[in-house]
Amino acid sequence: MTWVNFFGNALDPKVGGMAFFGIFLSLAVFLIGKYLFKISNGFFLFQPLFVGMVLGIFILWLMAKWFGVSLPTFYQSAYKPGGDILFWFLNPATIAFAIPLYRRNDVVKKFWLEIILSLIVGMVISLFIIYYVSKLLGLNNTMIASMLSQAATTAIAMPISGAVGGIPAVTAMACIINAVLIYALADFLIKIFKLNSDPVGAGLGLGTAGHTVGSAKAVQLGSIQGAMASIAVVVISIVVDIVVPPFAHMMGLF
Amino acid sequence: MASNQEATKTAPAEHEPAPILQQMGIFAGVLFVSSLISPLFPKSFPVPTPVIGLVLMYVLLASHIVKLYQVEKMADFLISLIAFLFVPSGIQMANSLNVFTDNGALSGVMLIVTIILATIILLVVIAYTTAGFMAISRKVFHKTTDIQ
Repeated sequence: MTWVNFFGNALDPKVGGMAFFGIFLSLAVFLIGKYLFKISNGFFLFQPLFVGMVLGIFILWLMAKWFGVSLPTFYQSAYKPGGDILFWFLNPATIAFAIPLYRRNDVVKKFWLEIILSLIVGMVISLFIIYYVSKLLGLNNTMIASMLSQAATTAIAMPISGAVGGIPAVTAMACIINAVLIYALADFLIKIFKLNSDPVGAGLGLGTAGHTVGSAKAVQLGSIQGAMASIAVVVISIVVDIVVPPFAHMMGLF
Repeated sequence: MASNQEATKTAPAEHEPAPILQQMGIFAGVLFVSSLISPLFPKSFPVPTPVIGLVLMYVLLASHIVKLYQVEKMADFLISLIAFLFVPSGIQMANSLNVFTDNGALSGVMLIVTIILATIILLVVIAYTTAGFMAISRKVFHKTTDIQ
């Protein structure tokens, strides 16, 4: 018995070690982030989720160096078992957004047509802008194709990305960065783009750009924003399902 | 005591929240049924379990089969945890950091810049498009868009 065993058989490349380390590390880095956020009076780079992600990867990288294995190998055997358990709880947490949505059913009933039209038209406009911005920044066609479906929830974005000639792993990463970014910058972006005058639009935008994390942020801003972000998470995923493949085809990406 | 009562026109009067195990049971049931529906969609049109679950939960609430007090407490708790539950997804990037370095450092940086811009584009374009459609509703169809 070496002390390596404490880290869930960190040197064992096969998946399925102990989950305790991954769960502990996730909580520890997130709580450190919360503490830093508090003592820095809410500095945006110290958002708990962002700190947790960067610090977590950094600690895993240090430990991988220490044990002389590659970072992905160490991640797979030491962190993933625990991480996967926490990750599973995103399933019930996603369906929980039905509750803020239902609480503002009055808004949904009144504006359902505007909501659906805005998401479809807004998505198509965004696709054009994202396509040309990516081209301008010199991304190749594979990478551009990977950028198109990121508004959908990860489980939809990845297969669609693969279907239009992108790399699913890149798209998954884009989805994660979307969420972390929106959580950190939502207040700032809403202020400089003056989005708060229209709570429906702000909510739909947050749910689209930030996925469920953006919706959690929107719930904090107000009940209308929260409800609209929740509906955006569902509707935009379906819109991506329908709109992205013909768009990519039209642009000659596959 | 169910919170946020100001906004709920459809909800019944104040009600003690259901026992937490019962609330978990409803969540687990909705997820299980959704996981049976999800594979029925074709491969080219994927709809994952939690998305179906969200719709199903909403339908159950809207048709008053499930009452707000039976799921509200659990839902508020889970939503308050979302940022934390996303930490494993963030750390998961350790597994595929190579996508940023595979085609050289410059294209990696450009990829990150594109993702950051795409996030802002999605937020702003969707919000402005919505504001546009709301303005059309107001001016062309004379619909009131004041909501509290």
